[in-house]
Amino acid sequence: MKIKLKCIMLIDDNADDNFYHERVIKKCNAADKVIAMQDASVALEFLKSVKNSSVDHPDLIFLDINMPGMNGWEFLEEYRKLPKELQSQVIVIMLTTSDNPDDKAKALDLNIAADFKAKPLSKEMLEEIVNSHF
Amino acid sequence: MEQSRHTELTFQLIVESSPNAIVLVNKEGKIAYINSQTEKLFGYTKGELIGQLVEVLIPARYTGKHPGFRDMFFVSPSERAMGMGRELFALRKDKKEFPIEIGLNPIVTVEGTLVLASIIDITERKKAEERFRLVVESAPSAMVLVNHSGIITLVNQQTEALFGYGRNEMIGNKLEMLIPERFRDIHPDHRQTFLASPKTRSMGGGHDLFARRKDGMEIQVEIGLNPIGETHDQMVLASIIDITERKKAEVRFQLVVESAPNAMVLVSQDGIITLVNQQTEMLFGYERYEMIGSKLEMLIPARFSSDHPGHRNGFFKQPKTRSMGMGRDLFAKRKDGLEIQVEIGLNPIETPEGQMVLASIIDITERKVQERAAKKQAELVIKNKELEQFAYVASHDLQEPLRTVSNYLQVFEEDYLNVLDANAHKYLQSISGATKRMSLLIKALLEFSRLGRDKKLVKVECGKLVADVVADLQTMIKDSNTTIHISEMPTLNLYEIEMRQLFQNLISNAIKFRKKKTAPEIQIISKKVNEKWHFLISDNGIGIAKVHFNRIFDIFQRLHTNDIYEGSGIGLANCKRIVELHQGEIWVESIVGKGSIFHFTISELSI
Repeated sequence: MKIKLKCIMLIDDNADDNFYHERVIKKCNAADKVIAMQDASVALEFLKSVKNSSVDHPDLIFLDINMPGMNGWEFLEEYRKLPKELQSQVIVIMLTTSDNPDDKAKALDLNIAADFKAKPLSKEMLEEIVNSHF
Repeated sequence: MEQSRHTELTFQLIVESSPNAIVLVNKEGKIAYINSQTEKLFGYTKGELIGQLVEVLIPARYTGKHPGFRDMFFVSPSERAMGMGRELFALRKDKKEFPIEIGLNPIVTVEGTLVLASIIDITERKKAEERFRLVVESAPSAMVLVNHSGIITLVNQQTEALFGYGRNEMIGNKLEMLIPERFRDIHPDHRQTFLASPKTRSMGGGHDLFARRKDGMEIQVEIGLNPIGETHDQMVLASIIDITERKKAEVRFQLVVESAPNAMVLVSQDGIITLVNQQTEMLFGYERYEMIGSKLEMLIPARFSSDHPGHRNGFFKQPKTRSMGMGRDLFAKRKDGLEIQVEIGLNPIETPEGQMVLASIIDITERKVQERAAKKQAELVIKNKELEQFAYVASHDLQEPLRTVSNYLQVFEEDYLNVLDANAHKYLQSISGATKRMSLLIKALLEFSRLGRDKKLVKVECGKLVADVVADLQTMIKDSNTTIHISEMPTLNLYEIEMRQLFQNLISNAIKFRKKKTAPEIQIISKKVNEKWHFLISDNGIGIAKVHFNRIFDIFQRLHTNDIYEGSGIGLANCKRIVELHQGEIWVESIVGKGSIFHFTISELSI
């Protein structure tokens, strides 16, 4: 890892996945901080309140699609209403079980998420993401 | 003298008691005697007339010629009617004319020969005749009065119009002039038959009748016959209707029915079939003579035929064009007993034989079969969608716990590697292998269910497509030392991505299932066979036992354990689906130990 990010946020209702992904990030030494959120709406509120300068301000968000309550699509709909300057400082990557090409196409059409990846997050995948977006 | 006096008296008595007016005239044309009937008829007294010239009783326009006629009578006196064929008129004292008939009898007396004219006033008869003539004249159809010897005695204007003759050309001539030559000889016999038992009836007894116009043209007619007059002077009044147009219309109607693209049956009110067309013969398998004149119920399955007359009566109560059996399934019965499902349209038709119904019958058996097939097809599409949905949800939902298992396995190995013995390692490896394999199967199932989902037909050079696939497999080909021969390939409309997958599966299978210590040799050949393209991919590999020839194309069917040949068991199932997308078939021939040939066909698909 050439670059170390300040903070990576995981938004996924599956605690096991969050545990594993956080572990991969830590093992790669890819970020100072990992914030795991199991509820997309809580994650959204968090983003609204967090200061740019804060150490809790994520550079990268991994977002799952299928979640109870607010799902990934609904999260994106709200996220795009956030201040542009905040959005410009964050890279959103869809990280999901779905390997449905329709979902992938939909995600890329929305033009909010930078990429669409299938779980699980691996070391190689993480390196590739960080290298191409930071 | 006494004697002659007596005779004279007797004669006078007879003359007086005659119901007719009687006038005796001598050679000089003088009236010798009249009876009291004459006084009444002419308005003169005996005294006024006796001794006068008989011309006093004749209208002025005839008096010139009359003496001449009189003289001729006396030259050869005989008992006869006066004025054969001419109309005779008499003049009363008040100068009124009236029509008469006169019978002439020569009488020899002592004064010499006299003529006894007995005069009948035919005013009333003439009036009746005139009335009759007027009725005939004003009749809407041609009427011809024929006497017992077949002479035309009266025609009306309609007859002139119909036949093109003037009445003078017809009256007095033989009726046969109005009959086509081929019937002329037999006609007098028919006339005699009629005169033998005269009664009002139509002529021809069901035969087509023809008449002949002056210009030689024949017309088809209907003729009604009415006997007129007394037995001794039997006449026939024939009324003639030109039915040429009607017959033409009937023929036209029959032609239309005959040329209709579907079966048509004309049925009378009492359910008798009066007309069918060729399509009916074809549909029902009966000859038309078997149907015409029979009850319609012969074409209806027994279980419906008892209700049918009721339905029919209902139709005739309110005849209108409509389809039969609204909302019910209708069936007809062929001669061979086979039932067919039909649609029937009903049209009321006015015919000379009365109200009828024209039923047009369409065999919808095939359509119903198609409909059922289409319904099945639609159900299949839905089922497929459901399967796809299921496969997607299943793969998605199954992947999740599976991923968790393999993630934690990895974590477990990383953190506790050092505290585990060799057995534990082996166990963990087995668990890891199983989860990887399960993941592979789930992915394969998803792929299979999604095959051809977003398919698009494009024009593809097969040669280039196969070359691309071979290039993709280059590593595998090199490692196994495979040689591939590709014959000339066509350019076809294909689902490109799917077709690529098909070749990739078949070629990689041919390499994968190679014999130990034998370099794989693969041949790819294409040829056109009856509108389809036939492809062959042959190898020199391990081959497949005949019992498995069909099984191998089913999903998740594998002939080998994973440790010998890896695979999900879905490759050939995918191939089969792809070939079916191209409306083709796939099959294999193979000899164990020698090799296999995979065949598939694809249709010419239009974009």
